Amino acid sequence: MSDVKEGRLRGTGWYISITGFWREFRKHRIGVIGVLALVLFVVMAVGAPIFATHDPSPSIKVGPRFMAPQWTEIFDPTGVVTKNYLLDPNLDSDSIGEIVVEGSSGEFTGARNFAASPAENSNVTFEWTHIANTSIEFRSPPDPNGDLPDTLDFIYYAQTFTWEYERLPKDVNITVSYNIVTTGDFLTNEYGGKMFELMLWVIDSSGNWTRIFDSVPPYTGSHVDRPVDLGFLDIVEGWDGMIDEGDGQEDPTDRLTVAVGIAPTYLFTSSASGPEPWTYYNGSVTATITHMECVAFGDYFGILGTTDKGADAWSQLLFGSRISLYIGLVAASLSTAVGVAVGMISGYFGGKVDEVTMRVVDFLLVIPRLPLLMVLAAFLGPSVDTIIIVIVILGWTGTSRLIRSQVLAEKNKSYVEAARAIGATDTYIIFKHILPNVTPLLFADVTLGVVAAILSESALSFLGLTDPSEPSWGRMLADAQIGGAFGNGAWWVVIFPGLMITAISLAFTFIGHTLDQVLNPRLRER
Amino acid sequence: MGLREYVIRRTIYVFLLIVAVICFNFFIFRLPTFLFGVSPLDLMIAPEQRATMPYESLQLLYQNYGLVPDPDIFDWIYMFWRYIVNMFSGDFGFSFQSQRPVIDEIMARLPNTLLLMGTSSIVAIILGIWTGVKAAGDPGSRKDVGAVTMALFTFSLPVFWLGMILLFFFAYMLPALTSTLIDGGIGLPSGGTISYEVWIAFKDQPFGALAIAGDILLHLLLPMIALGIGGYGGYFLYMRNNLIDVMTEDYILTARAKGLDENQVLYKHGMKNAMLPMVTAIAITFGFLINGATLTETVFNWFGLGRYIFDSLLLLDYPVVQAIFMIVAITAVLANFIADLLYGFLDPRIKYG
Repeated sequence: MSDVKEGRLRGTGWYISITGFWREFRKHRIGVIGVLALVLFVVMAVGAPIFATHDPSPSIKVGPRFMAPQWTEIFDPTGVVTKNYLLDPNLDSDSIGEIVVEGSSGEFTGARNFAASPAENSNVTFEWTHIANTSIEFRSPPDPNGDLPDTLDFIYYAQTFTWEYERLPKDVNITVSYNIVTTGDFLTNEYGGKMFELMLWVIDSSGNWTRIFDSVPPYTGSHVDRPVDLGFLDIVEGWDGMIDEGDGQEDPTDRLTVAVGIAPTYLFTSSASGPEPWTYYNGSVTATITHMECVAFGDYFGILGTTDKGADAWSQLLFGSRISLYIGLVAASLSTAVGVAVGMISGYFGGKVDEVTMRVVDFLLVIPRLPLLMVLAAFLGPSVDTIIIVIVILGWTGTSRLIRSQVLAEKNKSYVEAARAIGATDTYIIFKHILPNVTPLLFADVTLGVVAAILSESALSFLGLTDPSEPSWGRMLADAQIGGAFGNGAWWVVIFPGLMITAISLAFTFIGHTLDQVLNPRLRER
Repeated sequence: MGLREYVIRRTIYVFLLIVAVICFNFFIFRLPTFLFGVSPLDLMIAPEQRATMPYESLQLLYQNYGLVPDPDIFDWIYMFWRYIVNMFSGDFGFSFQSQRPVIDEIMARLPNTLLLMGTSSIVAIILGIWTGVKAAGDPGSRKDVGAVTMALFTFSLPVFWLGMILLFFFAYMLPALTSTLIDGGIGLPSGGTISYEVWIAFKDQPFGALAIAGDILLHLLLPMIALGIGGYGGYFLYMRNNLIDVMTEDYILTARAKGLDENQVLYKHGMKNAMLPMVTAIAITFGFLINGATLTETVFNWFGLGRYIFDSLLLLDYPVVQAIFMIVAITAVLANFIADLLYGFLDPRIKYG
């Protein structure tokens, strides 16, 4: 069956002209390079969801801003590696981490439960059982904004790790999964939830505590995953003492501790609304910690690093190819279609029609192009369709002039006159005789139109006139320019998007140039 | 059709084009007002301020800016009339944003734009003609193919990106790398038109103008290179293709037959004739100089018209936008007209039609 089809196909004029064309085309090295590059870009656009490592949206943060590409780490062997530094994030190991009970009230107990089967989670449980009038020792004077809890009686679980680097992490995310169950007055009293807090600390080896998180009610008893993004000052407090810049380090060792615990708050001994709560509260607070990790970000991330907003540059770069290809191809085909129609009509019919259309073309050619693009894009709103419409409105003039001059040359040839003499209609002559004779010119024109459209799109998105949530190369460059990539030395967000725009335009330029040489015999003789 | 008739006909076309530009200019920038009913006065005064403003002063404000509150069709006709009268009397009104005369704002930026565009165009034209002639002297050679490929490369290069790369390496990386050798490092300025410190230090000194000119040149260097490279490819290809065309003419064959050496044929007989279409292309380029380069000016923070038109556009400051648009379009129309006439004048073979 397929043999028959192929045989039939081989015989057709189309097959012969296409193979002949390809034989001619592949003699030009730059044309072949262009086709190969274009195939790569199409693969990139189609396979973007497969190759992308993260969400391509420019505003979704996956790490600190301006992290360098992962592969540049080979030039910097002492760089911080991005990973979770807590050795036992799932709390499975008996030998790592410890539960510490502070104070002498005896109300705090802690326990470690290890998973018996893979289906269960190991956890750490704190329990605070308060019986009315049991005295709890409060810190005095009270320091509500201090790093330590309000009481001297509290409980925490801590894991310690070694920071072997001599530089700060770029950012730190500490995540803790917990649930809190309250009973008695802690559950029923209106202010019960405010009588205690779950806290997170970073403790350096000199014994300085830095509080980075405290929980707020309500406690529903269900599981909470709480990511905490450490501020720069918290990172300095925790890590700076371990950094040795040649003059020795402040802290005795490179050991850093991350601790999570529960502690009563100062409200528990406040008499602002009636008797002090500790004198009459009866009940318990049980906190269960199932997961705890501390991800420290180094200077390197992903295939192409991160942008000024901390988004993944590689995924944006991949998805940016879609918009460039789409706008390039659609806008160029539409503007060529308009140009061909106008050029044919005005060339073939001549007279008043010709006069009017050519004056319109003159008008569009003297109007400053980029300002008009900006005006229309700004007024019609930032969307892909708008950009296409704008490019089409301004892009058809060149094609129509080209086609018009070609039609003027063709329509007086004897074969057209012969067709007219035997009674062919205008439509028939245009489509059957003139159009096939001007199409060779069109292929080169379309490919060069694609280049113009791609460059226009990148210019408009560089100026911020396109949809801000859409990843695009021009917008990546704009973000780099506005977001301070220069000052941060972030060459990866400056070089790669521009390189992509250049490469895709160059591919189309090469193809167009080669098509012109192959299909336009006047040029081929050179 | 003779020369006189041709000139008259072109003049009528130019006049019609200018009329079309003027009308278009009026409507395009008032589109938001037509479509969405946005009042430009909202840009100048906050709604709270407007509510507490006396009626008379609001009226005065409208009057000063040639606007009418809640315009109907007759008000639009009146505004259009005022607009045309003002355009022809050279009164472009006041900027909504700075509340200064538009013409002053434009004049403050025009020299910068002309300096940047002029120098970069000249660089591109000279380089383009020179390498174009060299390439056409030996078409199909490795040198020629390499030069054409380079020209195609500059065609596909986004100029603003080239500017960013230049800026990144010469204004940020170079000072960072050389700062260990010299305090502050060697490098070019990271944008702007002139350094404020230099201006303050030298403006009152007798030979301060030299220092200031030097500082401006330092600022000019990178954007000029970027724009020059961006424009180079077009001139190169145009020159090369023209010259290759000319070199197939019979008089070139005659010149060679006479025994002239190849350089003389190329430069005396070939290049002179191939320059004719080049002259018109250059005339058109100079017509678009005033256009500015919005993208390059944005990258280099250059105080020019291209960036001004963009900034004003975003703020709906249409007295500014329409004035620049108008000046640019009319200059382009006139440049095209002059190019047409020039071509007819330089090439006696041309047929008018």
